[in-house]
Amino acid sequence: MNNRKIRYAAMFITLAALLITLTAVNLLTGSVSFSFSEVIDVITGNSTDTTAEKVILQIRLPRIIAAMILGGALSLSGLMLQSFFSNPIAGPFVLGISSGAKLTVALAMIISMSTGIIMNSASMIIAAFIGSLAATAAILAVSGKMKNMSYLIICGIMIGYICSAITELAVTFADDSNIVNLHNWSMGTFSSTSWKDVAVMTFVVVPAFAAAFLLSKPMSAYQLGESYAENLGVNVKRFKTALIILSSLLSACVTAFAGPVSFVGVAVPHLVRSIFRTSKPIIIIPASFIGGAVFCLFCDLLARTVFSPTELSISTVTAVFGAPVVLWIMLRRSANRNYEA
Amino acid sequence: MSHIKTENLYVGYNKKIIAGDISFSISKGEILTIIGPNGCGKSTLLKTVASQLEPLSGSVYLSGKSKIDITEKELAQKMSVMLTGRLKAELMTCRDVVETGRYPYTGVLGLLTENDNKIVNKALETVNAQELADIYFSQLSDGQKQRIMLARAIAQEPEILILDEPTNFLDIKYKLELLTMLKKLSSENEISIIMTLHELELAKKVSDKVLCIKNGKPDKLGAPDEVFTSKYICSLFDISSDSYELWYK
Repeated sequence: MNNRKIRYAAMFITLAALLITLTAVNLLTGSVSFSFSEVIDVITGNSTDTTAEKVILQIRLPRIIAAMILGGALSLSGLMLQSFFSNPIAGPFVLGISSGAKLTVALAMIISMSTGIIMNSASMIIAAFIGSLAATAAILAVSGKMKNMSYLIICGIMIGYICSAITELAVTFADDSNIVNLHNWSMGTFSSTSWKDVAVMTFVVVPAFAAAFLLSKPMSAYQLGESYAENLGVNVKRFKTALIILSSLLSACVTAFAGPVSFVGVAVPHLVRSIFRTSKPIIIIPASFIGGAVFCLFCDLLARTVFSPTELSISTVTAVFGAPVVLWIMLRRSANRNYEA
Repeated sequence: MSHIKTENLYVGYNKKIIAGDISFSISKGEILTIIGPNGCGKSTLLKTVASQLEPLSGSVYLSGKSKIDITEKELAQKMSVMLTGRLKAELMTCRDVVETGRYPYTGVLGLLTENDNKIVNKALETVNAQELADIYFSQLSDGQKQRIMLARAIAQEPEILILDEPTNFLDIKYKLELLTMLKKLSSENEISIIMTLHELELAKKVSDKVLCIKNGKPDKLGAPDEVFTSKYICSLFDISSDSYELWYK
């Protein structure tokens, strides 16, 4: 019992240390490198170098915070979908929910550009939220009560393809000047995040995180399945609705600001469960959030620096690290099944 | 006063009646076993009594109070279930599984108090599974799993325990062990128990009352001695007396 508590504490400290280290490295490196003392000067307001100030305060810092918040949001969204479907490889990207959000945001962008109205971030989130919910509804309708893990994922991938195809179609017929803009965004990136964006995403993600944390009690009862949860007094319908709304809102927020980001929602909760060696929601919910932040900071660092000055899309990097985790889960599962039979 | 009572209860799915006209009542600390051929509606009846299914008509009374008037939380503190089917419970230790039984008593975040921990430990002790507490549930044998699920149900501190074929997957040793535990819970803790069982010879020994269901109708309700006669069992399960004699005598 005590050993477990020590493990949890040690893991949280490790995650926090990683978060701080990655933040520092992200601040220091990039197309222009700064020394540690230069960065400290800028942050404490003692710097005379206006370029350094601009790069660090207006470009790097908001981008770092966006990667943290959105990474956490994405991972939390995946965790809730896994609880909802009782399926360890559910996530907003593999289930096509991100693609649904991408479609509605792209449509909203094209319409607003052609009418000359500039969309603010709040309306982007609303558009993405509608798309997320629509894609989730489609998944629920198609997959029904199917408990088979693979069918659910196939449904998700198909819905993702359909949404992507419609997005491509819309982009093809949009004005030339719009396409460049749309193309960058639809690949997924944390770049060009402003402080205003950071404020808006904080405003959405922090309350959603708090609400998710309050769901940790029913979530733990629900781990034993719907019947046991019901017997324990969980209002299953209300609980499942809350899961869907929160996970859609979180992944919508990510898609609205950074475009679709792949595999974080599946890989991070799984890695976190493995290193904490528990699935207790009260531990795993905050741990997944911090883990998602660490994972996305790390991936964004690589996206920015590996082929600098060319930037990779964030999904390219998250897929490299995230997709093998999904394969690993599936392989282990099928091995276990053989063993049980 | 009766502890649990049903009156003209009709049970089924999607308005389709699977079993009907069921009335029984048991007093505190009694064990009622439901037997009958496969597909006769035993499990459906059990699920309805456990509130997993809405009754199609009629009602279930707990201590004279209709179940409709009882809140979800109150019901969860009174009645716990143990179901068939395998649990996933991934990366949950046995203690984690048993702790879920405290759900109806904990606060918003579900944190356990000192007292809750004591009750969890006691439940593990009752089923002789203290040494399994920190092992992952998925690593257990079927017999151990059933014991932990029983501990989970006990940790819920129920007045009524509902078990759907609790002896499934168990070898004879664990079967006897489990039934001994149930007998003890009913006599010492005055927990009323309703369960389904396939093993007639065990049902005969463990039950205070037996409810026989055939073709969606209650066929007989009575003490084990009245029910378990070769003549009646042959007619309940549609078997010839020859084959019954051959295998059971």
